Amino acid sequence: MELLGPKKRRWRSPKEKQERSDKQTLRDKFFYFRLLVFIVFGVLTLQLMHMQLIKGEAYEQRAQNNHLRVSPTMPSRGLIFDRNRTPLVENVPRFSAGIIPADFPKEREAELLSQLEALLHVSGAEIAQKVGEKRDSKDPFTPVIIKEGLTPEEAFSVRELESRLPGVEVVVDPIRRYVDGPLLAHILGYVSQVTEDQYPALKDKGYELDDRIGQMGVETIYEQVLRGEPGRNYVEVDAAGREVQTVHEVPAKPGAGLVLSIDMDLQRKTTELVQQGVGNSLNACAIVMDVRSGDVLAMVSLPNYDDNLFADMTDEQYQALNNDPAKPMVNHCISDTYPPGSTFKQVTGTGALQEGVANAGTTITSYGSISVKNEYDPSIVYVFKDWSALGTLNFYQGVAQSSDVYFYYLAGGYYQDGVELFRGMGAEALAQYTREYGIGAPTGIDLPGEAAGIVPDPVWKEQELGETWTIGDTYNFAIGQGFVTTTPLQMVGVTTAIANGGDVMVPRVVREVVDAAGQTILPIAPEVARHLSISDENLATFREGMRQAVSWGTANSAAVSGVSVAGKTGTAEFGPDLGGGTYESHAWFTGFAPAEDPEIAIVVFLEKGNGAKDAAPLAGRILNYYFHRGD
Amino acid sequence: MRTEKVSYIRNFDYVLLLSALALVAFGIILIYSGSLPKYDNSTAVIEHPVARQAIFAMIGIIAMFAMSRVDYRLLGYTAIFLYVGALAALMFVLIAGQAVYGSRRWIELAGTQVQPSELTKLVLVIVLAKYLTDRQERIGKPAVFVTSLAIAIVPAALVFAEPDLGSAVILVAIWMAVIIMAGARSAHVLGLIASAAIVAPFALIAVVSDYQRERIATFLDPGKDPLGSGFNTLQAEISIGSGRLFGKGLTHGTQTQLDYLRTQTTDYIFSVLGEELGFVGVVVLFALFIVLLMRALQTASSSRDPFGRLLATGICTYILFQVFINVGVNIRLLPVTGIPLPFISQGGSSLITLFIAMGILQSVRTHRGPSEW
Repeated sequence: MELLGPKKRRWRSPKEKQERSDKQTLRDKFFYFRLLVFIVFGVLTLQLMHMQLIKGEAYEQRAQNNHLRVSPTMPSRGLIFDRNRTPLVENVPRFSAGIIPADFPKEREAELLSQLEALLHVSGAEIAQKVGEKRDSKDPFTPVIIKEGLTPEEAFSVRELESRLPGVEVVVDPIRRYVDGPLLAHILGYVSQVTEDQYPALKDKGYELDDRIGQMGVETIYEQVLRGEPGRNYVEVDAAGREVQTVHEVPAKPGAGLVLSIDMDLQRKTTELVQQGVGNSLNACAIVMDVRSGDVLAMVSLPNYDDNLFADMTDEQYQALNNDPAKPMVNHCISDTYPPGSTFKQVTGTGALQEGVANAGTTITSYGSISVKNEYDPSIVYVFKDWSALGTLNFYQGVAQSSDVYFYYLAGGYYQDGVELFRGMGAEALAQYTREYGIGAPTGIDLPGEAAGIVPDPVWKEQELGETWTIGDTYNFAIGQGFVTTTPLQMVGVTTAIANGGDVMVPRVVREVVDAAGQTILPIAPEVARHLSISDENLATFREGMRQAVSWGTANSAAVSGVSVAGKTGTAEFGPDLGGGTYESHAWFTGFAPAEDPEIAIVVFLEKGNGAKDAAPLAGRILNYYFHRGD
Repeated sequence: MRTEKVSYIRNFDYVLLLSALALVAFGIILIYSGSLPKYDNSTAVIEHPVARQAIFAMIGIIAMFAMSRVDYRLLGYTAIFLYVGALAALMFVLIAGQAVYGSRRWIELAGTQVQPSELTKLVLVIVLAKYLTDRQERIGKPAVFVTSLAIAIVPAALVFAEPDLGSAVILVAIWMAVIIMAGARSAHVLGLIASAAIVAPFALIAVVSDYQRERIATFLDPGKDPLGSGFNTLQAEISIGSGRLFGKGLTHGTQTQLDYLRTQTTDYIFSVLGEELGFVGVVVLFALFIVLLMRALQTASSSRDPFGRLLATGICTYILFQVFINVGVNIRLLPVTGIPLPFISQGGSSLITLFIAMGILQSVRTHRGPSEW
């Protein structure tokens, strides 16, 4: 109407013109206002398209991260049994007092702290600080532990007071209890929290900083088996961090169990006997091994320690244990090396037989010592003693009497004025057989911290000491003195190989992996590291020598009624000259039984003592127990 | 009398009414979802935000119809009293108001909380319309321009002092739109804008409280303090973005339902919409607002007198800017300032004020004849 109106008139008054222009301006203004509306919503829509359509996926991910908390659930750790399925370890609940910072009322803090102080004997200021730190953190609903390892009484009173102490609760977590504590500590090891040093390497394997992990023994070697697989709980949390519901759950897979080769009954008795026979030794070891499988039936290292202490160990306690000169945490059976003394004649003797330098009828006369002139200065004469002037000996007698001169001949030969009167096998050949028996390298037992020992030869001496090998070195090597060192485990391995006809076994302490119901998941087959290049005939000759050593020779005190034992003693000198050419000595005995059909091998090592007087009788008592415990 | 009734029925804007009602219904649905984390079945029905909002909507609708029956030209005579009353209420808030989230905005009245700044926006529309209509002939004079500005600045300053930056901006925007529509000289308007641009940075430093400054700093970098003041901004952003095209479904937004959003039935209700109904829900909301604003602008442009035109223009500006600031804050286009989303946010003061405004628009449409007095 307005639009039509003016067209009819030609003449327009100024007022009309003014009105017309006003109306036009007004229309423009409304046009712009409408435009403004569309611009405003256009801008908002563009930004929303950017957020919801272009970057929507990223925001969705952030929303997911916001409200889902993934918390690991710990699997129960696998149990460990002895070979007769006697449980050796339990998972037991341990109680700690914790505070949920978000639920701990600030206004009543002073009152609650004094109550807790009285109840748990923990400093209130310390609690307040721990709680305060966490209260303002992202995660105020995870309990802060204020005292670990409550006594059952303490746990009970905290639980009783939970209703009156808001935010305070008893936190339960499982710990390992080792049924026999010190008796098996070196074999089982222990479990403790991941340390700060270990964490970087472990975090990719799914460990958290406060997770527990096997730290020694079987617990660490079989960590992957025992641990199981942690589960994951996807928990929906609200903005305050409070758990709303579990959205998704991946259950934890419990760890598998282990059946050890250890015979707990024998282990207990062996420990007892070694403790009785330890004398003034700093350390003592005994190992009983099944010669057919390499199963360790008993393994005792003294002094021992209680692995249960590690559940709640203070730093001082740990330092005390660690700094003890007798090194109780070290398994001396596998981690320490010693000169093997005359037990090493097993290697020299069997090697010499195989090399053809001797046979059962080879006779050598011991006048109590042999002398060697210095190659360059004949006025210097070295004397290599026997323990006695034993007279003329055949091979069996040489072994049974443990004649050093006999074995000097076998290894180094005998020369008079540059003339070879007896041809020995030589240091290189002896070193070769030594390595064959498994000395000089870890045996591969399933325990951590195994030492290698030393196999000396001319090249080794040149490299390590920069000196030339002498015939005297060969003589010392022959009788397990000088540079050669072994672990007790390696020596029982030598005896095992002689006893079983030449198989050097990989010793083991775990026989099989079992599931929670005790069903075998993974049997671990005995493993032969290598077969000796020594014929069984030659080994049999040496076995006869060892049998005679026990029946009438130096190892006689190892004899057991009703069972024929074969063995070899050793008294290895070590340390500085005590005057008059006497030294401190290690006592060794290594042997097997029954001699005619070997079943087990044994090594006994006493850090101070005499092989025949101390080690052999102790071994005899252990063997006696083994063969007669059922009687 | 009969023709008047016919005119009322014929001229009544049903589309405007329906779009307003649709928005309120939409809002109540969102309030329902947003209130789930805090209210459960144990909440007395009358206490529940949905029930309260429905009651306020009912009161608002009655007020709207009542207002629509009153000749809007009568409002002009009440302007001065409304203005004085509004200023008094704002001052009272500053002295005795209740502080929520660091800001004094509410006064307790008859058992409910009243937010005078909401009503003030409508009052300013009426006062400015009246003042400028009366001085139409002298609209180009600087005195009129300055006086009209002063009329707006006084309540804006009081609101700003609460502090409520958003409402202060809206009051100034209303003044700006109304003065332009009334025919102010563009030189005056442009001059003012230019000088404001120069003064603004200094004013920001001098006048803006720590609270506002922190909010602005947070706006510029919400990651700086993700658990502190940046929390709301960040969570709103995540909520809306994570809704994507179709949303997570009503009552299924993790951000909303797990309490990551704060004030999710009031200032951040748009985030609930964005999260649970997605971009599609947002477009529907915007469409409703656009329909409502177009109808209101239609009322303004078809008004037979300047007073009605200015009233309608002011109301449009009020709603448009309120929506822009609220949504802008939610989607991080603007710094944080608490402004309700018209018709949607939970809150009686805003809703009733808006329905009265709707009533005024209807009155402008239906009272086209000569004054009855």
